[in-house]
This record gives sequence, C-alpha cells and structure tokens, in this order.
Amino acid sequence: MKFIDLEHLDDLALGSVFLATGGGGDPHVPKLIAHEAIKKYGRVSVIKPEELDDDAYVVTIGSVGAPTVSLELLPSIDDAARTLEAFEKHVGRKVDAVASFEIGGGNSLIPLVAAAGKGIPVIDGDGMGRALPEAQMMSYPIAGIRPTPAIAFDYAGNTAIFEVSTTAIYERHIRSYSMAAGGMITAAEHPMTGKELKRSIIPGTLSFSVGLGRTLRENRGQADTLLKPLQEVFADSIYGECRLIHSGKVIDKATRIIGGYDIGEATIEAFDGKGDNLTVSIKNEYLMAKLGDKVSASVPDLITIVDYETGTPINAERLRYGQRVSVFATGCPEFYRSEAALKVVAPRCFGFDIDYVPLEKLWS
Amino acid sequence: MRIGIDVGGTHTDAVILDGDQVIAATKALTSADVVSGITDALDSLLKDGAISQDMIETVMIGTTQFTNAIVQRRELSPVAAVRISLPSGRGMPPMVDWPADIADAMGGHIYTLHGGYLYDGFPVADIRDDEIAALIKDLLKKGIKNIAIASAFSPMNAQPEKIVASKIRAAIPDARITVSHSFGRLGLMERENAAIMNTTLLPFADKVVSSFLDALAHRGLHCPAYISQNDGTLMSADFVRAYPALTFASGPTNSLRGAYKLTGLQEAIVVDIGGTTSDIGVLQGGFPRESNVVIEIGGVRTNFRMPDILAIGLGGGSLVLDEGQNIGPQSVGHNLVTEGLVFGGETLTTTDILVASGAADIGDASKVAHIPKTTVEQASLTMHEKLDQSIEMMKPGGKEMPVILVGGGAILVTGGLKAASQLHRPENSGVANAIGAAIAQIGGEAERLMSYRETPREEAIKKVTDEAKGRAVEAGAETSSIKAVDIEETAVPYMDEGATRIRVKVIGDLATGGSS
Repeated sequence: MKFIDLEHLDDLALGSVFLATGGGGDPHVPKLIAHEAIKKYGRVSVIKPEELDDDAYVVTIGSVGAPTVSLELLPSIDDAARTLEAFEKHVGRKVDAVASFEIGGGNSLIPLVAAAGKGIPVIDGDGMGRALPEAQMMSYPIAGIRPTPAIAFDYAGNTAIFEVSTTAIYERHIRSYSMAAGGMITAAEHPMTGKELKRSIIPGTLSFSVGLGRTLRENRGQADTLLKPLQEVFADSIYGECRLIHSGKVIDKATRIIGGYDIGEATIEAFDGKGDNLTVSIKNEYLMAKLGDKVSASVPDLITIVDYETGTPINAERLRYGQRVSVFATGCPEFYRSEAALKVVAPRCFGFDIDYVPLEKLWS
Repeated sequence: MRIGIDVGGTHTDAVILDGDQVIAATKALTSADVVSGITDALDSLLKDGAISQDMIETVMIGTTQFTNAIVQRRELSPVAAVRISLPSGRGMPPMVDWPADIADAMGGHIYTLHGGYLYDGFPVADIRDDEIAALIKDLLKKGIKNIAIASAFSPMNAQPEKIVASKIRAAIPDARITVSHSFGRLGLMERENAAIMNTTLLPFADKVVSSFLDALAHRGLHCPAYISQNDGTLMSADFVRAYPALTFASGPTNSLRGAYKLTGLQEAIVVDIGGTTSDIGVLQGGFPRESNVVIEIGGVRTNFRMPDILAIGLGGGSLVLDEGQNIGPQSVGHNLVTEGLVFGGETLTTTDILVASGAADIGDASKVAHIPKTTVEQASLTMHEKLDQSIEMMKPGGKEMPVILVGGGAILVTGGLKAASQLHRPENSGVANAIGAAIAQIGGEAERLMSYRETPREEAIKKVTDEAKGRAVEAGAETSSIKAVDIEETAVPYMDEGATRIRVKVIGDLATGGSS
C-alpha cells in the first residue's frame, strides 16, 4: 500500500489487536490522535524498506509508559512531530522516515501521527511483528542497532536526551523517566541508516495489519468460517502458517500483577467437553499454549484468542470465565527464529521450561 | 410503607411494600406525557381505600426518560464543554469522537484551558486567570448557561474544576454547572462525556422532577420522593435535578435488585425475559455485578457505573426459524398481540411454541395445532440451550449458582436449565423492577490512584472510603448506617510497585425525614 488515510485506521487498529497477542493496550486513544492528525495534515505515505536509500536516516518512534495513565494524560496532535524535531535538533540532521517499535496495539499508530505532522513517510514494518513487553526484544537491538541517541518528549514539551550502551539499560532509564514525566512520554530512539534498517526491521507489517483488520471485519462471524480467509492472508505473508488450535469455553482464568507484569493462565475446554483442555500462559501477552501436556504453540510464534461468535480479538485483561473463544496460532517472522533473536524471546526468557519448536513442526 | 414505581418504555409498574411484603401491584401503560401513566398507576394502587396516603412514608421512582432523551436526541440543551488539561491533549478537544448528530445538538461550544494534575499530584500546568476571564466573557456573550467542566486527574485533585466553576458561578449566577469529578472514575474523556451528557439534560431534569413531584402531590402523597440510580441506589428527587445522567441503566439494576428481594438470594444469576431480549445479570452480595468495559450510550463512550448485563435476542416475541433450529434475534416486539399465530397473525414466535407445547394457554391454541411436534421440541431445546450458554458466560469462575427467572417472558422456560444449580420463579416477578426501586438504599462511590509506598494501604483505603461516605451523605444517606460494600484494588501495570487504583462503594439507609 502507498498511503494510510482515515479509512484505513479502523482496520489497522483491529489488525494490530490481533497481532498484539493479548497485550499492547487498547488502541482507542492512539487511533483517535492518528485520526485527528491525518484529518489535519493529510494522508501518510508508506514506503517499503527496500525502497529506502541506504544512506537515508530513519528513527523509530512511539509511546512509552503506563497505558492506565494515558486515560487522563491525553496525547497531543503535535507531540510526535515535535519529538522528531527535538531529535533532529539534537543530532543535527534531518530524519527521512519513521518506523514503529511494535505493530501490536497502540504503537502501530503513533508513527503515523509523527509522519503526518512532519510530512515524511512511514516505513512499512516494525520492530516486533507482534507485541512483546520489553525494548530489548525488538528486532532493531537484536540486529545490533544502538538504542541511542534517543529523545523522550513529555506532554509539556520537556525533553530528555539518552546516551546509553545497551537497549536493556535504555529500557530501565526511559521507563523511570516516563514515570517522572507524568507516566507517558513519546520517544524517538534506535536511529539508523536505510541500510541498517533493511537488515533489522520486520518488513511489511503495517500494510499487513491493515489487510488483516480488513479480513477480520469482512469475515466477522464464527471462528470456524474465519479460518480459511485468515489462512489465505497469513500464507501470503512473513508469518506463514496459521492454525485454529482450539475452540471452547474459558473455564478458568486467573492473573495477578508481579513486577509490572500481568501474569497467569487461562484454561479453555472444548465445547463438547471432550479431549484435553487448552491452557494458555499469560505474561501481558499470550505466550504459550498447551493441549493437555503437549505444547501446541509458544512464543515467539503468535497466539491470539478471539471471540468465537464474532472473531474479535480479546485482550488478556478482558478475557474471563465463560467466554466462548477460539485460539489461533501463527508462525512468527523468520527473523525471530534466528539464534540471536531466540536468546531474548525464547520461551525460557519468559520462565517457561521448554525449548522453542516452530508451530509447523509441533503440528507435523 | 413504600411505593415503588418503574417507568419503562412500554409499561409503568407500581407496587406498595410493607416491609418485605408486597401489598399491592399494578401495571399501566406508559403515557406519552409519562405523568398520567404514573397517576393511573397510583390511582390503581390506592383505589380501594385500604391504604391511605398518609401511610406511605416514601416513594421511589425508576425512570428511563433520561437515557431515552440521549438515545433519541431530544430535550437536549446547548452545552459549553470546558476542559482543563493543557498543555496535554492539544488537538484532542472534548467531543472529538462523538456522533455528529448529538455533538451538533450541544452547539459546539468548546473551551480548553491550562491546568490539571498528573497521576502523582504534580500539576500539569497552573491555571490561568486570563483564560478563565476570556471563557466567562465568551459564555456571557453567547448566553450559554449550561456548562460541563473536566480537568485531568480530577478524581484525585478537583481544585481546578472547583475554581473554574466558582468563578463562572460568580459571574453567571444562574449557570447550571456539572463538574466531572462528581462522576468519580478515571478516564478523562469518558468522565468528561458523562459530565457533558449530564449538563445537556439539566433543564429537562428540572421539568421531569417537577412533574413527578406534581403527580405525587396531586394524589395526596407529600412524603419524600427518591429516584433510582444505575447502581441500584437512590438519589433524592432534588439531587436528580443536578445529576440526571446517574439514572442511566437503572432499569436492569432495579430488576436485579427486585429479584434479590423476591428470593433473598444474595448470590445468583438473574434472567429477565421480556418481549425481545433476555437480560442476564449477576447478583453479588445482593447487588448487581458492575461492568468493567467502556459503555456507549447513544454512541458516546462513558464510564458510568453500569450493571454487567448480557442481552440476548430471546423473548416472548422472538421469531422461530428453520424448524426451531434458530430463534431470534428478530422479534415482533410489542406487536406480538397482532402478529403472533395464536393471536391470529402470521409469524411463528416463541409464544406460539409455548402454546403448541401445551405449557400455556394464551390466545387461540387451534391456530398452532398444525406445527409439527419435532419443531416444537426443537425450538424449546434451542431456547433452553441459548439461555444455558449465556448463563454460563455470566457465571463467575466455575461456581454453582442458582438462577432467578423474572419478567413476562419467564414462562418460556418450561424445562430446567442445566446451568442453574436451582431455578427460582418468584411470585410477583412481573413487577420486579418496581420492587427493586422500592427497596433501594443510598450509595456513594469514590476512586483514586494511590501509591502504597507513600500512603500505607489501610490509610489509603480509609481516605477513599471517607470520600465515598461524604458522597452518600450528600445524596441523602443516614451517616451512622453507611458501610463499605465493595473495595476494589487494582495494581497498575508498568508503574512503580505499589501503584494501585482503589475504588470504594458504600451504602447506607435513607436518612429519616430526608430531603425531597
């Protein structure tokens, strides 16, 4: 796709909730601010990573903080563009295009606000291909891109400059800065050249999310009938495999907050009560699914739970006892199956005592 | 003795309660002017002279008029929406995501000012006297008297809203003002929406409350009058003149509370089956379980306290399709009495199935004699399955729970319900709403985001509880009877350990000789 315009925002937000695998926050406010920005400044050009010049200068942009805070501390229409301007002033050069941290949830939309305000293109791609809880899990640092120089910009235009050695340290620092600055800031980080971007980005996820949202909207209805259109969309993408791994009723769901994470499990019993129950482990996102004792999908592959009747993705916070749901699993981009990526996103990194086995091998 | 009145879209129900006893009950049609429906119901209750007016201590009224006004876009007055949050939220003005027709009805008077607070109590910005002066000047010039004010994190620090409100009041003495912190909950846009919807209804609220009180006075009832809120508690009638929006969704709440009163069951599922839908709710401690999701009213997002209701398309007028394999959601609704087969119509409805099965004697049974037995059995099975599935969805975590059936359509349930540990069909279930209104108490609620690191947990909860108690007293509760019925603590992800959202709800008895 060449442009993102007002009519794409609902589909993008819906697709991004599917790709958020239970996490990522409610995209309602980000969608509104993107809507107002595009209405005011016009549609946003989308360019593929390979269309970018090798020596172009790109920065990633998005919100960092606690989604609960942004219920009161609303974003402004020019926050993202002014963040970029502050970044440009600091590094002393123009930014040619912006890219997203993560396509899953609200941060799929913030780069559009920046791009609209500055009149520059947004790159079709992101740094996760899904939602994951920490910055060092992004493809950019995994591919060796330094997180800084980075700039954080608060609601009043105060800025902070970061120069740190690793993304893990950057993550700690920017989180505490975000809390000091009202709980939600806009950040421009992981600057890179076009050449670096091409080897570190998960490509095509922006346009894919719009198409996925459209598929979900046009095929709204029972999950069984949604499977085929979904498989067609995924087969044609970097994700590949898409499977309906279970349908049934949520018979148990319990989570609690530990160290900033929403951690717990949901158990889903087949409608006819026969066969093994599916247990989905949650740590902000849906990270592992087991049918009885057998693993049927795990991170970094995607696990998404949808309402059985409508196919609408259900956020982990909203999942509750009695809901009739279907669980889809899809492959993850090849990038996340590399040794370097699995060092930070394999099941063991989230405390699960299993090795990662790709979805299609689990089911072959 | 108390009188409970429920003014619904179709029927106005009324009951007289003596303690727990239902002394008299009546159903009248809701009139276009509402008031004559109420007087008809009162006449019918008091007609035989066994109960005299001076035996009635209080009257409680439940009404859908304010919800309907918003949904149907009528009786709405122009409003100035004032938000105090700059420099945050630039380019995201009040009503930005409202449907155009209702936003237009407000007149598009939008003002944004500097001020408000952050989650930790640090100011977003200082409020500016010059901005407030300019606002007042413009309000005077345009002659706007209905004003809604919302500031960032006002549930935690309402000073900015209070300061702006008092300055407006000083300059425009007859201004009608809603400050968003009266609606408690976090979520600036949703709380602001609630304040704006409340404000647009204020002139209408005056009219409605006056006509209610007139109707009672005409029937010689001079006792205090109360109106029910969406959480199953009461407001004094005069309080409603200031907070009409708090009546939204009080209908389903009253039906749940009435079901509690009729059975005494504190923990139960309530299924209210009407003509078009079955509304399924959950009683927890005798009160409706509240919904956590964003609720839209007339297309506007709000965070009102609403009961968690699952409405499914199954009622006495629902269409029976495919030899009984499918039922609803389409319904002939109020036209059942002309369109249903047993009434000589041409549409196969659930009521016709009931008559064909021999479980009820309604209309002309010969008109449904031709329906195959297999269709009757299949339709009955589909109905019961639909209800079972929906009850399962509403049941809290794996618990066995009894089910209470209320509403005119409750007769559709001829067999048992697998999802129910026990099935209750209380007497007088047809007027459960009016009973729910009659037994209501006074409530109050408060919510804050606090850090247990800075304020010890017990102290924090006490602070929020005191705030809720203050609200209950303001609404007409007797201080010594107030107790906390629900304390909700939610840890906030991605914030400091100890950051917690605390919500407290309190309930108390009506203050005797309370204001009316």
